Amino acid sequence: MLGRAGSRTASEEQATLEAQLHRVALGDRDAFDAVYEQLAGPVLGVARRVLRDPAQAEEVAQEVLVEIWRTASRFDAHRGSARAWALTMAHARAVDRVRSADASARREARAAELMVVPPFDEVVEAVEARLDRERVRRCLEGLTELQRESVTLAYYGGYTYSQVAHLLSSPLGTVKTRLRDGLARLRDCLGVG
Amino acid sequence: MDPEVHSLTGAYVCHALEPAELEAFERHLARCPTCVQEVAELQETAALLASAAAQTPPPRLKAAVDARIAVTRQIPPVVSHEPARQADRRPRRRWFTALGWGLAAGLAAVVAVLGVRLNDQQNQIDQARQRSTAISTLLAAPDVHAESVNVSTGGNGRVLVSRSRDEAAITVSGLSRLAPGKVYQLWMMGPSGARSGGVVPVTAEAFDSVLAHGLGDARTIGLTVEPAGGSAQPTTEPVMLLPMPA
Ligand SMILES: [Zn+2]
Repeated sequence: MLGRAGSRTASEEQATLEAQLHRVALGDRDAFDAVYEQLAGPVLGVARRVLRDPAQAEEVAQEVLVEIWRTASRFDAHRGSARAWALTMAHARAVDRVRSADASARREARAAELMVVPPFDEVVEAVEARLDRERVRRCLEGLTELQRESVTLAYYGGYTYSQVAHLLSSPLGTVKTRLRDGLARLRDCLGVG
Repeated sequence: MDPEVHSLTGAYVCHALEPAELEAFERHLARCPTCVQEVAELQETAALLASAAAQTPPPRLKAAVDARIAVTRQIPPVVSHEPARQADRRPRRRWFTALGWGLAAGLAAVVAVLGVRLNDQQNQIDQARQRSTAISTLLAAPDVHAESVNVSTGGNGRVLVSRSRDEAAITVSGLSRLAPGKVYQLWMMGPSGARSGGVVPVTAEAFDSVLAHGLGDARTIGLTVEPAGGSAQPTTEPVMLLPMPA
C-alpha cells in the first residue's frame, strides 16, 4: 500500500521489493500483490506518458505486470534494483508500442504537439507517487535547457535521439551527449548509485 | 571502435537508439564494464523519472492482471547461465538438406536426448495453459519463422521456430489413423543426424502442439511411421519434412 510505505526508508522498501520479487518467482501470489501495489502506478504512469493513449497504456501496463509475474525468476539483483528492472521493461514496451507500424500515423499526428516540450508539471500527474516528486522536479530544473528537453523528449516522449535532434533542431552528437550528461546530472542530484 | 560509443549510454537507457546503433552498442556493452556500470546507474535514475509519472491504476487493471497470471506459467529459475550470443552461432551447414533424408539417416549414429515435452504426467488444462503461453512467447520472438507442409499420407504440419529462443512448436492436424502396432514419431534432423523427438500420441486425428527445446543443429523436423514404442533411428521414409531456418 502506497500510504503505508511512508514510514519506511527508500532502501528498506527496495530491499523489501527485491525480497518480494524473489517470493513471486516461487509462485507466491501475496508477494505478487505487494509488488503490484508498488509498481503498478509507475508502470502505468510511464506507459501513459510515452503512449499518451490511456487504453494502450493500460494494455502495456497489463502486459508488463504479467511479465513481472512470468519472469520474476530472471530478475538479477546484481544488475540493479527490482524497481529499475520493472520500469526499464515498462519503458521499453511502451516505446516499442509507440514505434510500431500502426502507431506511426498517430505519432505523425502528435509530432506537432510535441514540438513544444511539455512543462514538467504536466508530466508529473502522479497522484500517489511515493518518491519525492519535488526532488525529481528540482533536479530536472537543475539541468540545462537542452539537457532537460532531450531527456524529456527521449524518455517521456519515446523518441529516438535522432528524432529528438530533429525536433530540437540540434546536432545529433549534441543531443546524444545531452542525454547522457542530463541523466548523469539527475543521477548525482537524486543520489542514485 | 569509435570512442564516442561510450557516450551512447544515455540514449540507450532512454530506449532512444536506432536499431542498428542499438545492436552495435549492445555488442560494445558486452565488453565495456565502464558502460555496464554507467547504464546500471542511469537505469536507476530513469526509474525515478518513471516513478515521478506514476498514476493511480484503475481497479480493472488489477483484475485483468490477476486473471492473466492465473493462466500464466512462470518460467523456472535458470540453472546454468547461458550466454545469449546469437552472433557466435556456428556457420550454417546445409549439406544435410542437400544430401537428403536417406543418407543423413544412414550417417546418424548417435541418438541424442531431445527436450521435447509431451507432459504426459500433467493434467490437460495445465498442458494447454503452458502450451498457449509458450506459443505466444514464441510468436513474440523477433526472429519467429513459420512453415507449413502437407503430410504425404494426409494432414498438415506446421512449425513455429525461433532460433534466438532455441525453441520450436510443432502442430500436425488431419493425420491418418495408423494400423495397430504403428506409431508416428518426430525427428529433429541436422548435419549430425536424426534425433528422436518422441513418439506422438495420435488419439483422434491430430496431436496438440509439441514444444521442442534445444534445437541444436536441427534443420528439418521429420515425421515417420514406426513400430509401436518408436525407433532409435527412422526406419521408414518420412511422411512429413518441415524445414526450419538456420
Ligand atoms: Zn563503453
